[in-house]
Amino acid sequence: MNEYHPTRTPAWILLIMRELKFLLAVWKTNIASAMEYRAAFIAQMLGMILNNAVYFIFWVIFFDRFRDVRGWELSDMFLVFGVAASAFGLAAFLFGNAFYLSEIIARGRLDYYLSLPRPILLHTVASRSISSGLGDFTYGILSYLASGYCTWDGFGRFLCGVVLACMAFTSFMIIVHSLTFWLGNAAGFAGLALNAMVTFALYPVTLFEGFSKLILFTIVPAALMGALPAEFVRAFSWGALGKLFLGALLLLGLAVLVFHRGLRRYESGSAIQVEV
Amino acid sequence: MRKFTKYWAIFKIQLINSLAYPAELFWRSIIVVLFLWVFAQLWKLPFAGTESGVIAGLTYADTLWYLMLTEAIELSRTRLIRNISEAVKDGSVAYLLNKPYDFLLYQLSTSLGETFFRWLLTTLLGGAMAWLLVGPPPDPRGWPLVLVAILGSWVLNFCMSALIGLLAFVTEEVAPFEWVYQKMIFILGGMLIPLDFFPAWLQNLARCLPFAYQTYGPARLFVDPSLERFAALMLGQFTWIAGLSLLLALAYNRGLRRLAINGG
Repeated sequence: MNEYHPTRTPAWILLIMRELKFLLAVWKTNIASAMEYRAAFIAQMLGMILNNAVYFIFWVIFFDRFRDVRGWELSDMFLVFGVAASAFGLAAFLFGNAFYLSEIIARGRLDYYLSLPRPILLHTVASRSISSGLGDFTYGILSYLASGYCTWDGFGRFLCGVVLACMAFTSFMIIVHSLTFWLGNAAGFAGLALNAMVTFALYPVTLFEGFSKLILFTIVPAALMGALPAEFVRAFSWGALGKLFLGALLLLGLAVLVFHRGLRRYESGSAIQVEV
Repeated sequence: MRKFTKYWAIFKIQLINSLAYPAELFWRSIIVVLFLWVFAQLWKLPFAGTESGVIAGLTYADTLWYLMLTEAIELSRTRLIRNISEAVKDGSVAYLLNKPYDFLLYQLSTSLGETFFRWLLTTLLGGAMAWLLVGPPPDPRGWPLVLVAILGSWVLNFCMSALIGLLAFVTEEVAPFEWVYQKMIFILGGMLIPLDFFPAWLQNLARCLPFAYQTYGPARLFVDPSLERFAALMLGQFTWIAGLSLLLALAYNRGLRRLAINGG
């Protein structure tokens, strides 16, 4: 008979702690492996910062000539670009395989993750780190600092918005790549979805009205990666935080569901020996 | 002339190869529809704010058709930089040295073969979208000139991409150069915004650089065809291609001297 222990930690918390420890260990290994090629790592990071800066010149030229887009100004673009770039970068750096999931599924390389006693999806997506992601993440912070919206509490909201936007973006990537379980290889479609998500997130949300705006919150939830976190960073509101949190959580739940449903259809590639 | 028949054959093989994966071809090309729709939303606002409906000599319809062509040129580019830099990094360039063809001309032939159908499909899908958004395309009498300009744009892109790819002889990582090159095309090449909308000093700078001859030149000729514009574009493309080819041959020969082959 079990005795009642009022201080005993619930099992689900222990489980989360265990998986978090595992996740930290995977990230540590990824960083150590990136550091083996230190020059390439630094070159990719700095290159990506420069790449984003050159791309942003488009908006500088546009707003220099046309001033505003239905109330959006250059400072708003700095802000939305900051949130979206940091969220994208964080996803690429921490969950790099979310960008390659179709290939992993189609080539039967899930075998390796299936053979280990860890959560398959988490292990798979966290097993790769894209070095340039750190450049995107850093550029996002620089862009936020340049936006004119920078305050101490604003920076806290920025980080919170970036984490939730990263969660929404990674989940979206997992969903579209998981279609490979049904379609054979959805890499082309996932590329299109990635482009759509990033393009919509990086353009002023005021451009889109009616049906197109509905799409930005549902089918291609780019608003969760750009406009909504940017709105939350500008000024705190429970409404914006609630929408962002709920959206990210729903997408994460859907990603886990779609991936595991698809996993039932997975056919082994007998690739264990290749990965070990 | 016989020397070039083998490159023509390589081009044809790659042309057929590019049709082997129609789904991939389609997904890569259909993205132009999305981009044009977003551009249409963005650009209708500045034009709605003018009385004449003209900005820097371009109408809203001109701008959309211009962007359709710049996007088609950009989206049809191949992974040339990565292919060349990988060949250098993994040493496979060494195994091509004893083959009866020139490495650079081989890469040019495969790149053109891979590009053609990508460009064609992107142009057809983008053209359909642009027509739907702003009406019929510009004067078709200028199209043959535009095709010649696009070919020049591909060759010019090859020269620049190959030069970046060959940087792998001297540097560990070429991806950052590739990203920045692509963004230079986006901005100074006028892919995202016609150079005519730039401030005067930036316009002058952009017109002096090779990027504008790859996207801006052909697209501007497409919406406003004239023999003078064509002649100026050809002169610019030819000058840059000649200069960069020379530099490319030099870089390739110097790179080969640095090549170390271990075993086989």
